[in-house]
Amino acid sequence: MKDIIPFIILFFVLVSCQKEKITVGTNVSETFYLDNNGASMRLLVEGNTASKTFLIFVHGGPGSSSYFYNTDYISQNIENKYAAVYWDQRNAGGSQGNSNGDHLNLPQMTEDLKKVIQLIKYRYGQDSGIFLLGHSFGGLLSASFVTKDDNQSMVKGWIFADGSHNYPLNDTLTRQMLLTVGQQQIALNRNADSWKTIVEYCNAHTGNFTFEESDQLFDFADAAETYFEVVKEIDLATLIDYDPIQYGWPVTSILFNLNYSSNASFNRDLAITEFSSKLGVVTTPTLLLYGKYDFICPGGLEEDVFNRINTQDKKIVISPISGHNIMLQDEAFFCKEVNAFIESHQ
Amino acid sequence: MRFLKTYLTFVISSFSILCFSQSIDSVWVEKKSSNLSLSYISTLIYPGGRLGVELPVNTIYITKISKSGKEKNFTKDCFVTANLSWYHHPAFHDNVYLSAGWTMRRTKSNGFLTEFSPEIGLSRTFLGGTTYQIDDNGNVSIKKCAGYYYTLVSVGGGIGYDFSKTKREPFSIFSKFNVLMMLPYNSTIYLRPVVEIGLIYKPFDFLSLNVKSKSRKK
Repeated sequence: MKDIIPFIILFFVLVSCQKEKITVGTNVSETFYLDNNGASMRLLVEGNTASKTFLIFVHGGPGSSSYFYNTDYISQNIENKYAAVYWDQRNAGGSQGNSNGDHLNLPQMTEDLKKVIQLIKYRYGQDSGIFLLGHSFGGLLSASFVTKDDNQSMVKGWIFADGSHNYPLNDTLTRQMLLTVGQQQIALNRNADSWKTIVEYCNAHTGNFTFEESDQLFDFADAAETYFEVVKEIDLATLIDYDPIQYGWPVTSILFNLNYSSNASFNRDLAITEFSSKLGVVTTPTLLLYGKYDFICPGGLEEDVFNRINTQDKKIVISPISGHNIMLQDEAFFCKEVNAFIESHQ
Repeated sequence: MRFLKTYLTFVISSFSILCFSQSIDSVWVEKKSSNLSLSYISTLIYPGGRLGVELPVNTIYITKISKSGKEKNFTKDCFVTANLSWYHHPAFHDNVYLSAGWTMRRTKSNGFLTEFSPEIGLSRTFLGGTTYQIDDNGNVSIKKCAGYYYTLVSVGGGIGYDFSKTKREPFSIFSKFNVLMMLPYNSTIYLRPVVEIGLIYKPFDFLSLNVKSKSRKK
């Protein structure tokens, strides 16, 4: 008997991993994977799949995870109407693979996103309506997607939230915002010591930023929003509040993937990547959201997208109390705007 | 010169004390049965199980005499182990791994034991959901038994109680904390802490081997 126990366990493992479960309902939660070029990417679909409307979260990073967007507030205020698709990009979150670092690049990730949409349509019907929501680096990835070939015909709407579609412009705008706001804050004697360091750095580094300068500006921008009390701080305690154990987060996978991807060599390529020059081809209805206190991806980026896309069906809105994570820092505002946009373009 | 003489005498005598402090009194070969182990393994709330066999390599029976003359007896055992383990992390993966290890166990005469065991092995994961592949023409197919092979390294330490020492029952219970490392995981590593609670059964005669044993007085 003892000899056959391992084989019984193995049998159940092998059988269970082949089951395909597709649920159409109003309160669905199902996980499946997309295997593409060395990576098995996790997809969690939650909410109202019966609506046939899917909002795909294209997370930031690179190397962050879609787990962070799956909040109770979004569950109660978006998933009750539509289905949310939490996609972990390659080398991120709960996505798995072997030695696949060679495939970690923007063109590959753009292809991955296309296949994610094809998979959602395969599972839930070709008539499913897809909305893309790109946050931070997800802005760059979704910009890469909608400007390539005829990809934009696969989606009904593009939501650009605290995103970046042009990293060199991003650095320039971040420096500009740090300098302007920093000087104001010093004059008001608010966190003056911290701001002085930032302003000094910005005065000494004026443009044509190296990768290291870009990194330093990011660090300053990340810290800057915490100097404003009105902005809800996103820290470790916030993430622990998510109850990662209950929801089965693979915590060490999330951490090691984040560490690998955020330090991977392709970040140097991203630092010189821009889609401003290609945005003229975009005719997809677009919603642009940003936080007033977002120093990481300042509002000038949304304005650049707004001015360059070739559609009249576009809207730009600003949260007066959020920083770089509008979906966490101004949840009510975020959900209201996203729902209204989807509602009018379903 | 006198100082040097005194110094050399001190050094030589110190070394001789060290050399004789772990004197081996006798060495012999004895036939020992292998052990079977069964345990529940868990990472927080994610369950799993483990089956193993421990092949004895050597045993040292140590008697320690304290300054007051009191004797303390304990045993140091070394085993080569082979284990088949599995854990289930819903929606992430199931992991089946085969490992070989070297277990060093120290058991006191009152039955309490401590152990340390490094292992190396092969892991095969099975992804926690249906896995799809899409070709360039958009055709979708299901990839059966999708998952990955990883090299696995594990290090663990724990405590337990050996009932054969006091109650002549042929088993021990133990609890261990292990850290699993799998690689290459997305070109980096994957770490997983695992708590293990289990039972070691010591049959009278199962895969018995001739084992080199030593008796040592300290």
